[in-house]
Order: sequence, then structure tokens, then C-alpha cells
Amino acid sequence: MERRQLLKSLIAAPLATVGLSSFGSLANVLVEKPTENKNKLLVNAKHNFNQALETNQHLIGFSNIESDFSVQKMTIEGKLPEDIKGTFYRNGPAKHERDDKRYLHLFEGDGMVHSFNFDNGQIHHQGRFVQTPKFKHEQQANKFLYSGPDSRLDDGLSVSNADMINTANTNVISVGDELWALWEGGSPTALTPDTLKTKQQVNLGLNSKYGDKLKGLAFSAHPKIEANGDIWNFGLAPSGHIALFHLNAKGHTKNVGLVNAQYRGAMLHDFLITHKHILLILPSLKADPQIDGYFARIKSDQTQAMRVLVIDKQSLKLQKEFELEPGFAFHFGNAWEEGDGTIHFDASLYPDVTVLHELSKVMQGATQNPNTQSQTALFTLKPNGTSTKHLVEGDSEFPRIYDHLVGQRNRLLFTLSATDSQIWSDTVSCLNVETGKKDRFVYGDDYLVEEHISVSPTGKEGEGYLIGTALHVPSKRTCLNIFNANNLSSGPICRAWLPYHIPLGFHGNFNMS
Amino acid sequence: MNIITKLFIVTGITFTSQNALSQSVDFTIEGIQSSKGKIYVQLFDSESGYKTGKAAFANIVKAKQGNVTITFNDLDAGEYGIRYFHDENNNGELETNLFGLPTEGYGYSNNAKANFGPVDFTTMRFSIADVAVKNNSTVTY
Repeated sequence: MERRQLLKSLIAAPLATVGLSSFGSLANVLVEKPTENKNKLLVNAKHNFNQALETNQHLIGFSNIESDFSVQKMTIEGKLPEDIKGTFYRNGPAKHERDDKRYLHLFEGDGMVHSFNFDNGQIHHQGRFVQTPKFKHEQQANKFLYSGPDSRLDDGLSVSNADMINTANTNVISVGDELWALWEGGSPTALTPDTLKTKQQVNLGLNSKYGDKLKGLAFSAHPKIEANGDIWNFGLAPSGHIALFHLNAKGHTKNVGLVNAQYRGAMLHDFLITHKHILLILPSLKADPQIDGYFARIKSDQTQAMRVLVIDKQSLKLQKEFELEPGFAFHFGNAWEEGDGTIHFDASLYPDVTVLHELSKVMQGATQNPNTQSQTALFTLKPNGTSTKHLVEGDSEFPRIYDHLVGQRNRLLFTLSATDSQIWSDTVSCLNVETGKKDRFVYGDDYLVEEHISVSPTGKEGEGYLIGTALHVPSKRTCLNIFNANNLSSGPICRAWLPYHIPLGFHGNFNMS
Repeated sequence: MNIITKLFIVTGITFTSQNALSQSVDFTIEGIQSSKGKIYVQLFDSESGYKTGKAAFANIVKAKQGNVTITFNDLDAGEYGIRYFHDENNNGELETNLFGLPTEGYGYSNNAKANFGPVDFTTMRFSIADVAVKNNSTVTY
């Protein structure tokens, strides 16, 4: 009888579906199609980008980085505030090229994590590639071995799970005594904070009741960390299901849920929490199976509402759903909830997904500004199922709030925008979402400005500092800028310079010491 | 004929003389990471059988770190494909994560690899005619 049961199990084994899942939607997208000369597209991309770089120095932020940056003392202009103590970590794609080829999309490059350590009146920088399995294999081979989401190889090695091509290139957070470099299609990658050396990919179920059930699941690059240290996150499955994660401050999984969102957009980058709920905001996207390339096939669907799934944080069950006007957003700043259940949240809202494809063009030397179409949108979801939307004039991206207010009522919202730049952000702003008052500083077209975040030694909104990096194009150097958070328009009170530039990245966080 | 019967026929034929009109395949599984548990192997004789999970023959062998060779005897001339998994925790099932992706080792004949999607029968199939054949695969963990 036992043997009979074993054999029945064998027949029921789901091997036929191997590879169908866990790719954060990559599965059905990346089935190789008989496109001729795929390699040639990558060779042309390298040629075109580097030719364009000769005449447009602003493209330097997207140029390839060959090796790690060793520890470098930065040159400080102005007075470094003594109450900023800790390390600012950032992550972004840095290895865009190998051999004669270049990736076609900005999201494909291997991640490099940077640290800016504030100590004894000095700032030291270092940057290291995350030593993912993919990075190590390709570094050893000195060429791309695996097809990327959009960049296919004629002779790419087979990819049987997402972590084989995990680039860990999008965000970095502190978890317990580790850093986690985050992608959105697979596992976090653990690093040692002081050296940035890679430890291993994180099996989220380890030491929990979930065991290997969470191994290799998509874990988004935008976890929300509450003031008590609890970590909330989601991961998109190709089936349209969305996994929900609740971890404690040490990264141990407390609870996991699965919501059948029936989402067909293939890409979901960010989400929000209130003190009671998780908000999954599903943009109006559809994936066109006729188009080759994971990002290339993602299209806007103006007939489809932008859905908001409201999920109870304790049960991880869907409680309510709202339908908003069609739209797209990579990023959200914050959400909070009133006593009567009214929910407020903001988004850097695009009318459509054009921006995603512009980020491919810039990688091949074209210089449209991909950020100009997004605006801060302030949404209110009412208990009776209705909603309102208020658009704030001017463009916005990379929204951030004070960390201690995640899921709580916030008044200030920091964003980036482009005033003069045709290629990237050049302005940082602080919007008071209650009064509409905006304080901003225009770096100008000479700078490529990256995400700015608040550092508040007092733990109070409106106090402390706003810090962020910017690449100064004429001198080919990157600087770290420190503003008084309540007075951006006066410009940075301190600026720390590297003697070289580092590549444009995506997201980061400050870890107070 | 159910799978149990087929299994015992396979086992039985191992001890009989070869039929001139049939042949065998020696299937070697390489890169087995531990001697824990068992390896479940299925042999399919058609694409439809593979798609529906209906194996022509099946076998279970004890896992051994390194390589294991499984022999299927008395096979008619035709096209076949093999898939297997390493049941390391010995619960009789291929463990998967919450999204359905295997978390135990698995593989296919011709060393076919899942590549952003499932392995199709065309990739894993091999022919048997009038001589014994060998085939191999490295476990994907």
C-alpha cells in the first residue's frame, strides 16, 4: 500500500509545470522565440550607446562600471552636521556591458551596493558588486551567459529559476545584522554591512514553519518597514497571485499569505501599508504575448481600471477593492488611515507606461526624459467605496517620507523632478500634502540627481536632514548632498565629493548607528 | 494496465533475457547532491503521455550521492522521454514553493533544462531502435 501511495504521488508530481512559475511573471514571457540575431541587438546597443556618450556626456550615468570601488574618503564642502551618525546605503545596476554586448534595458544590469559611512566628521564611500550566482558565473566567463528580461542571447544558458538571474540591483535595506540587496523577481541577497561582502541568497522560510515553501519566491524591492521594525512586503507570481510577507525586524518570517489578484500586468513594483491594511495598487497594464521581451511586452490598457486591493494585515485576506481611473505608477510615498476607515495615499502617477520603454531607449543612447510624465497624485479611498484624486502640479518621482511615519499620517513628501534636464532628474522637492506648499532646490542641468531620503536624528517630521547623491556631469564626479529638511531652497548645507562618478542607481536607506 | 503493474513488469523483465525486437535504455542521473531519500523516475512513450503525466513505465531507486543509473528494459522501438525528481525528504512528493516551483532536485533526459518555462517533449525525447541506448542528465537543484 505504501508503495502504491508513492507511485500515485509520482504520477501526481508537478514536474510538467517546472519552470512555469516563480519568475515574477518571467515564465511565459521569456520563452525563447525564433528571433534571428538576438546577439546583434546587444552588440548594436553597446555601439550606439558609446557613440552617443561621446557627444552627450549626460549619458555618463548609464555607462558601464568595470570593478568595485574601494574605500574612499570624500572631500567635504561646508559643515558636516555632527548629529548624522550611521551609514547611507544605495543600490543600482552597474554592470551593463560585457564583452561586445550591452543590456537593452536599465533594469537588467547587475547590482552594485554603495555605502556612505558618516563617522568622526568624515564620510567614506565604497561600492561593491553584489556577488550573485549570475554575477560570479558571468564575471568568470567574462561575458553574458544568461538572457536577461529584454536582452536575449542566441546561446544563453538555460534558466530554471529566477534566482539564477537575480541581479539584486534595486534597493538595499538593513535587516538585523545584515544588509539585504533586493530585486523584485526573486530572493533577497544578504550582505555584510561594513564590508558589503555578499553572504548568500536568503531563504525566507528558514527557521520558520514555512521551511522551503518560500524559497525563491519573488520578494519586491520596496518592503515597508514600520516604526517597530516589522517588515512587510509582497511578491508577484506569474499566475497573477500575489504573495504577502510579514517579517520581524531580524528578517524572520512571521506570516505569509497568498491573494489571487488575477493581475495580468506582469509588473508590480511597489505597494503601501497603513497601520491596519496592505494596499496593492495594480496599474492598468497588460502583457502582450506577441512581443518578445519581458519589459517590452508590457503595455498600458486604458480600458482597465487601476485596482486597489485592501488587505487586512493580520489575516492577510482581501477585505475590499477600489477601482481608480486607468494609470500607472512605479512608486508610492505613503498611505495612512483615519479612524472611520478612510485611506489616504500618494503616487507618482503616469498616464501610461511609456516611461518603462524610455528606460530602454536611454540605454541605447537616446535621451528623452523618461520622468516628465509623472505627477504626485493624492488619493482618498472612502469607506463607502468612492474615491477622490488630486493631482499636484509639476512632475514627481522617487517619493519618500520620514521613515518613522511609514503607514502613519505624513504631511511631508520628498520627490525628484526634472526642471531643465532632458535625461534624468535635476530637482529635489518637499511637498506639504496638507497645505500644498512646496519647497524645492534645482540642482540644474549639470547634475543627474538620485533619490533623496530623510535623516531625522530627533525622529520628528520636518526636522533633521534630507540627503541624496547627484552626479556632476562636467567634472564626472558624484557628490553626496545634505540639506536642512525644512529649507531645501537654500541649497545643501554640506556636500561631500568623490573624485569620480558612480553609476546612477535606484533606491537606498540610512541606517542610524 | 495501471502503473503498479507496469512497474512490476519492468522489474521482472530485468531478470529475463532480452527480446530481439526490444531494447533498453541506461539512464544515468549525475550530480546527485546527497544520499538522502529516493529518486522517482518516469519514462514516457509519447508527448500526450508526458503532457497528461501518464508514464509508460516508472521506477523508484534509492538516492546515492554522485551518479545513479536506471535501466528500462524491453522497450519497443520508438521515441521516449524521461523525467525524475530527487525526493530528499522522502515524503513521496516533489516539494514546491508557494508559487509551484520545485525546491527539490529534478531533471530530464537529454539533460534538457527548463528555460524560462517547462521542458517540452521534443527537447527531452530520444529514439530507441535496435540497439541499447544510453542517456544522461544532471540534477537541477
